[in-house]
Amino acid sequence: MLLEARDLTKVFGGFRAVGGASLDVAEGEIVGLIGPNGAGKSTFFNCLAGDNPPTTGTIRFRGQDVTKATPEAHARAGMARTFQVPVTFEDMSVAENVMVGAFLRHGHRAAARRVAEEVLAFTGLDHLADTRAGSLGTPGRKRLEIARALATEPVMLLLDEALAGLTPAEVRLAIELVRRIQQRGITIVIVEHIMEVILSLAERAVVFHQGRVIAEGAPRDVVDNPEVVAAYLGHHMKRVRRG
Amino acid sequence: MILLQVVVSGLLMGAVYALFSSGLTLIWGMMNVVNFAHGDFVMLAMYAAFFAYTLLHLGPAVFIPGAALLLFVLGVVVYLGLVRHIARGPMLAQILGTFGLALVLRYAAFWAFSANFVSLPDTLVGGTFELGGLRIEASRLLGGVLALVITIGMHLVLTRTMLGSRVLAVAEDRQAAMLMGIRPDRMQALAWGVGAASTGIAGALIALFFYISPTVGESLALIAFVVVCLGGFGSVPGALIAGLAIGVIQALSAYLIGAVYQDVVVFALFLLVLWIRPQGLMGTL
Amino acid sequence: MKQWPLVLLGFVVIAAWPLLTSDVFLQRLGALVLLSAISASAWNLLGGYAGQVSVGHSVYFGAGAYASLVCFTHFGWPPIAGAPVGMLVSMLIAAVVGTPTFRLRGHYFSMATIAAAELARILAANVPLLGAAVGLMGPPVPRSAWDLSFISPIPYHYLFLAVLTLLLALTWQMQRSKMGFYLAAIRGGDRAARSLGVPVLRYKLYALLLSAAFTSLAGSLYAVMIGFVDPDSGLGILISVKMVIVAALGGAGTLFGPLVGAIILIPLEETTNAMFGGSGTGVTFIIYGAIIVLIARFRPGGVADLWHSLITRGRRGAARGA
Repeated sequence: MLLEARDLTKVFGGFRAVGGASLDVAEGEIVGLIGPNGAGKSTFFNCLAGDNPPTTGTIRFRGQDVTKATPEAHARAGMARTFQVPVTFEDMSVAENVMVGAFLRHGHRAAARRVAEEVLAFTGLDHLADTRAGSLGTPGRKRLEIARALATEPVMLLLDEALAGLTPAEVRLAIELVRRIQQRGITIVIVEHIMEVILSLAERAVVFHQGRVIAEGAPRDVVDNPEVVAAYLGHHMKRVRRG
Repeated sequence: MILLQVVVSGLLMGAVYALFSSGLTLIWGMMNVVNFAHGDFVMLAMYAAFFAYTLLHLGPAVFIPGAALLLFVLGVVVYLGLVRHIARGPMLAQILGTFGLALVLRYAAFWAFSANFVSLPDTLVGGTFELGGLRIEASRLLGGVLALVITIGMHLVLTRTMLGSRVLAVAEDRQAAMLMGIRPDRMQALAWGVGAASTGIAGALIALFFYISPTVGESLALIAFVVVCLGGFGSVPGALIAGLAIGVIQALSAYLIGAVYQDVVVFALFLLVLWIRPQGLMGTL
Repeated sequence: MKQWPLVLLGFVVIAAWPLLTSDVFLQRLGALVLLSAISASAWNLLGGYAGQVSVGHSVYFGAGAYASLVCFTHFGWPPIAGAPVGMLVSMLIAAVVGTPTFRLRGHYFSMATIAAAELARILAANVPLLGAAVGLMGPPVPRSAWDLSFISPIPYHYLFLAVLTLLLALTWQMQRSKMGFYLAAIRGGDRAARSLGVPVLRYKLYALLLSAAFTSLAGSLYAVMIGFVDPDSGLGILISVKMVIVAALGGAGTLFGPLVGAIILIPLEETTNAMFGGSGTGVTFIIYGAIIVLIARFRPGGVADLWHSLITRGRRGAARGA
């Protein structure tokens, strides 16, 4: 297993946001984390990324214990991420944003620049290279975050609602990008509440409800699981299947 | 006995600290912006009291509310003219904005009122009480008690009235407040007005028993930071307790180590707290 | 950078400045502009590039100024020999004070730096070794050339120009390297920077160490030229404030911003001081305060930002014309 998270709990004050959730991710997969708002999937995600270490439980990544490791240590170990609300470095250009990521593995400016150019071409941002990041719209920022993360040359990419707030056309472009990222051999964990995305993209879906994993399996099967339907998907799912 | 005397005078001064620090913490809690000119607002109120008495022959009963009103207006004007525009700007602009204001006020006061120390006559609120062997000046007693009452009053207005809950709603969640039909801009202007008015009353009270100079605001601002940080950012009851504590700590260190070191102890304490608990002693970030 | 010819022209004018005029006031002005540009450029490394707005850099300036004159007063060294001592002490203070302070963000960080600087000022005013409230003097008459005690401001002008050139060259190099990108990322946001593997605390500390060392050097150079330091002129809050204003006016986080800020503000300050005499300092700071309020309100990017938008507008205009 590339990533093994065992019995994670996360308690804020008296509130138990995640209560004993586990997740295994094999190399090369695309795993979708789904669940209603407040189900604990974002908190769980932030535990995985090292942003907010779990209260109890262990996380192993590539065989190493990274439970309490800092976000920067996660990046060095090969785990990159994006944020739910994109945080780009606004007064830098798009290319410079990506170079920050590239400097993780390449100390020299010229090498970092080369990596950034390659990633910009791969993500289709090359025509915006010299644009100020602050002047991009939401889709551009989300894509830039992905590019920046790719420039750290990760083994695994964690996407936090990378497709939320996009138009259907933009969603299709983003799905296509995620597929191409997987083809590069990068394992992907994606938190998403658009079911369409999970159904067409993920090979495996993990459903969160009240801080626990209540179902796990192929997205189509998970969607038919009565417990899942009862927990949250109900009316939302009917719409998707009819359409 | 002397120690008790020191503690009591520290508490009285601390109540005044609590009052103007409550204003700062309110502004902070509302919009995560520090008013670096807060101490200079207090200084302005002190001069307002001084000139109300010397030029217009008005007594404390008039100049205390007068200073409050004056500073309320200043607070609202500063919010509308400056703070509203920089609050979502870059960090440097947020800090420079009110810092520049502090410089303007401080050195305009130098220019207009000269660097000389002035003070109101001791006899304005005259007399000294003897209470079980403790000697308490009437002016300090008035200042301390009034400050305490107003600070508690401020807390009650915030927590027990409709207007107060609207203000707190904006502090809690701007978006949600807007959905409930509250206009955050108005509530923030109000918070700046009230925050500044608290310095108005506090300044007029301090003027009763303390010297007045253009630079007096500098150390008062630092004390307000310390109080807000110790009491938890955005908490009026926290500011009250921390204000009283700082008053006592200052008085004790002046008595035990020497007057020049009273601020050293306070600042060192401040740094220590920030270093150990960056979120403040009682509050959460 | 497409503006190299302009930079070269600027350098030539600044280098030739004291030779263009025989007026000692103007010659002295040149040296003071350069000195202010050194300290503001040093502040800029942390406050501008890394976005950590310190309002307590007087600690390092004072450490440099005091180190020079303590070495002279107590050991009889030439004041300039105290400069490396001051730089070491400053870096030590930076490491001890900076490490815990960097956990604070935004306003908290600024508040903590003010408190630390005030603490240093009050302590210095009560330590007899540091001359307490009276302060310390440099050599009244030069004992040797090493005392760097000149009547003419011209030697100081070139000394300061050399230091500023070194500092700006270093900054330019840093800006283009991994460190420059990492500092800009930190300014953009800690959380995103860390997710990309930027060791935020370590890089903030690097920036502070470099910044403290050069601020301290500016303090030593000040003491060498003026031959006097007391708690207010070495450690007063206005020393810190001036660094921030000069850098912010020119453009915080830009290479030449602090120099441009100094070229605008120092002549203004010296003129008001000359015009209003003793009360000049007051007027200067009213103007300074007003300027930073206006920058914060209308142009947070300073003159550099104004310059860029003018160039862009100019290009667009030219394109339209053609």
